Amino acid sequence: MTSLFRVILLFFFISPLSILAQEKYTLSGVISDASSNETLIGVNILFPDQQTGTITNEYGFYSITLPEGTYKLLISYLGFQNVVETIELNSDITKNFSLNEATEALDEIVITEDVEKLNIRKPQMSVNALSANTIKQIPVVLGEVDVIKAITLLPGVTTAGEGASGFNVRGGSADQNLILLDEAIIYNSSHLFGFFSVFNPDAIKDLRLYKGGIPARYGGRVSSVLDIYQKEGNSNEFHANGGIGAVSSRLLVEGPIKKEKGSFLLGGRASYAHLFLPLFDIDNIAYFYDLNTKLSYRLNQNNNIYLSGYFGRDVFSINDSFENTYGNTVLNFRWNHLFSDKLFSNLSLIYSDYYYGLNLEFVEFNWNSGIRNFNLKYDFKHYLNDKVKLQYGLNSIYHKFNPGEIEPSTSTSGINPQKLIDKYALENALYFDIEHQLTDNLTASYGLRYSNFLRLGQDELNRYENDQAVIFNDQLQIYEKAEPIGKEEFKRSDVIESFNNLEPRLALAYQLNNKSSVKASYNRMTQYLHLLSNTNSPTPLDVWTPSGKYAKPQILDQYAIGYFRNFSNNTYSLELESFFKTVKNRIDYIDGADLIANDAIEQVILNGRARAYGLEVLLRKNEGRFTGWLAYTLSKSEQQTEGRTANETGINNGEWYNTPFDKTHDISFTGSYELTKKWSFNANFLFQTGQPVTYPNGQYEYNGIRIPSYTNRNEFRLPTYHRLDLSASYTPRPDKLKGFRGEWVFGIYNVYNRRNAASISFSQNRDTSRNEATRLAIFGVVPSVSYNFKF
Amino acid sequence: MKKILYIIILVFAYACEDVIDLDLPTSEPKLVIDASIDWLKGTPGNEQQIKLSLTAPFFDLEVPPANDATVIITDNNANSFEFIEDGDTGIYLNNTFIPEINGEYTLTVIYDGETYVATETLKSVSEITRVEQNLEGGFTGDETEIKAFFNDPADEENYYFFEFTPTLPVTSTLDTFNDEFVNGNEIFGFYVEEDLDPGQSVTIQIHGVSEQFYEFMFILLQQIEDGGGGPFETQPATVRGNCINQTNPDNFPLGYFRLSEVDELIYTVQ
Repeated sequence: MTSLFRVILLFFFISPLSILAQEKYTLSGVISDASSNETLIGVNILFPDQQTGTITNEYGFYSITLPEGTYKLLISYLGFQNVVETIELNSDITKNFSLNEATEALDEIVITEDVEKLNIRKPQMSVNALSANTIKQIPVVLGEVDVIKAITLLPGVTTAGEGASGFNVRGGSADQNLILLDEAIIYNSSHLFGFFSVFNPDAIKDLRLYKGGIPARYGGRVSSVLDIYQKEGNSNEFHANGGIGAVSSRLLVEGPIKKEKGSFLLGGRASYAHLFLPLFDIDNIAYFYDLNTKLSYRLNQNNNIYLSGYFGRDVFSINDSFENTYGNTVLNFRWNHLFSDKLFSNLSLIYSDYYYGLNLEFVEFNWNSGIRNFNLKYDFKHYLNDKVKLQYGLNSIYHKFNPGEIEPSTSTSGINPQKLIDKYALENALYFDIEHQLTDNLTASYGLRYSNFLRLGQDELNRYENDQAVIFNDQLQIYEKAEPIGKEEFKRSDVIESFNNLEPRLALAYQLNNKSSVKASYNRMTQYLHLLSNTNSPTPLDVWTPSGKYAKPQILDQYAIGYFRNFSNNTYSLELESFFKTVKNRIDYIDGADLIANDAIEQVILNGRARAYGLEVLLRKNEGRFTGWLAYTLSKSEQQTEGRTANETGINNGEWYNTPFDKTHDISFTGSYELTKKWSFNANFLFQTGQPVTYPNGQYEYNGIRIPSYTNRNEFRLPTYHRLDLSASYTPRPDKLKGFRGEWVFGIYNVYNRRNAASISFSQNRDTSRNEATRLAIFGVVPSVSYNFKF
Repeated sequence: MKKILYIIILVFAYACEDVIDLDLPTSEPKLVIDASIDWLKGTPGNEQQIKLSLTAPFFDLEVPPANDATVIITDNNANSFEFIEDGDTGIYLNNTFIPEINGEYTLTVIYDGETYVATETLKSVSEITRVEQNLEGGFTGDETEIKAFFNDPADEENYYFFEFTPTLPVTSTLDTFNDEFVNGNEIFGFYVEEDLDPGQSVTIQIHGVSEQFYEFMFILLQQIEDGGGGPFETQPATVRGNCINQTNPDNFPLGYFRLSEVDELIYTVQ
């Protein structure tokens, strides 16, 4: 601990001191969109003659310190007109810029060499940024614009099949992704079991997916970080936009509370009830809705406050005998404060929860489970000079886990009420991150995160002989639950178990010439929370559980190298990356483990490990009438749980087995072509190795029924998955810039109607008594029309 | 829970299912021991049978019987009951069996030069007290729901195994149940059948079973319902019962040696 502080202090004092010799001044400010006053993230502020520059942070703030002098300044941001200005830097200057949207976007934007060079120079690798516009262009099933579907088109990102929840990054599981909406953790990113995601595309400003080289300011998950920022709302004038689609309709309104100072944003989205189910002759309801809100207020030059919220629910009800509700709630207060023109800070107070409720009328009980947390974050960005940028901060999260509660729903119900024991934990972290330009060609980013996890006292905790909650039956060669030998009682303030980890992060970029660079990174990350799920992809009723005596924290080490190049006058960019990663303490489940309503999870889990490696290629065309990308990933993702002693078999005989999201080859293409101002066309093509599955290698008869007997886990694969989607958008009056504007989007998903197998199941036909292999294909060809508007 | 989720997925999606041809691997044949000793309440329980068979390729219509085995059950009172094969059916019969609640029994099977053994306890069961029906039940609202009520004993952990056999040309429906959330209450076994109309009947059997059998059958049924694969399915694996191959442990048998007291009720739908 103390050594960590020393390191931070060292950089605090030594670095500024070393540059005191020259007379230097700071240029800082905020860059925003002129029409809405919305701050812009990732805007390039360049000094072409000096070959240096910076970019705006998540709150639109920039700061750069340079020697006294006169500078030519270029501000450039995709989709906006460039600003060129001459700055006389003879004192500290605060200068805000408002950028105008490029009206004829495709003809006017010239991405200068310097912009791309900056990206090439930055040590951050394995990151993909997508703008809301790019996401909206991608053709999707039923015309529902979807953030998660868009990122699965990127290299290294897959899902465990059509209709599977969440996404998988570089062979990691879905619960290993840190999903942040305005810095708040989202626990379940899916609506309707993964067919749609919880993010309303109209409310999103910026999205970044970190697959590797993850900066020290992020922690708590081992696979990736999906960092999403919501729009603040237009503080100049009132606007609305929305859409009417086949699945849902949405409306977003924004406007000033006080002109140029405060703004609000309110976005709602709801799917139609009885969505799919009229197809069946059943009395059903299935729908989802979500609500995004944000209030922003600029107190003065140095202080901004934000209040944002998200509330979403999925509801299913079948024939009054079954009702199911689940979703996320997030409430977030943030305060941006400038201590000086070089020191930016953000304080966040966040509440977030995930609720799952089930009412089973036909068996007469109610069930609910969930997780909630209170999160305090204090982050600093310190722009020391044009060579060194320092970030540091702290984070503390209090978690409360409700593994489940069951209660009778009628007075005649045979169910006894029961509460599974709540679990509590405190997760703390301190970090620093330094981006340092070492030489003209070499830039480094290095940081360290210290994380600490305290499992707090709960009402009762089982004790086991030799601390073994799972025992191995030598004779039958199977794992069995151990009988507890007693119970321990704790106070809420007791610490049952504590973990401390140091997580170093390192990234290097070496610029080969002004078009290309090589980068390398290493990061270690720790994950203290586990999603209990022994299915191929998470389900909404899966519960989260904290690390403790039996479930150890997952620890990841990831190495990545990459080659980055811009060519053909920066029209194209190529990213080539290779990664290798290992995860310790990946939990696995004994055969037949029932994870729902289980008050003694420790009796069915074992600690295993996982590894993944691969090669990713991303070729992008960034400008012109045709834009888009081609991504190819070659990878392997495996898991292993060996026996704890030589006698034990482990899981799958202790051998490595493919994870359900291991896709050897994964090719995705997405492209957009603007034919005229009125018409543009978009296409996707996906080609993926089939998902690993377990097939039977025989059958037997027991108790009058036929039972398949199985090979080793995930030894076989479903047939290859491929699909083509097309869409066209028509803007009747493209030159109209004010007032009511509309747009039609026509789409066809799975154009050649391939029946891609989502699963193949093996069972005995009840009528003929014959064994059958049944293929489930979720979406055939699906046409759609949607209408979007704004005013 | 799993079953419910599976139904939602099927109902919800635009999903379409079709039966396909597939080349599957075939393993070496293994011995399957279907030794279910059922003592129906009110009967002497002396007539019992044990079925031995072999595993077969998945799509085969028939599974081959395991012939010429030696099958013996012994109890703690030094009684030994030998089961004799009925022709070459793979069904082995005995009519001198003595059932005893909580009695411990050992099964020995010698087949193809290898010796298999299993030990299990005969478990008691409560009576089925009454049956309720609902002709407008199930998820579609036009299925027949049957609830078979019984009283769970309060002072012990109980595990149940149900068998519902309708007078329809379909296979029986099997289910397991434990009293974790319902201890000491009047509870019910639950059965839904789409085509079970008034006038037709269903044979309801409730078996008392051990925790080990409950776990075994729970996994087995879970895998049959899921059928393997799919985003919300558990990983299928070969389910091992309580029989051990003493001669060659790696060549473990499939199936289970179970002893249960059974209550049976034939219910005619009104």
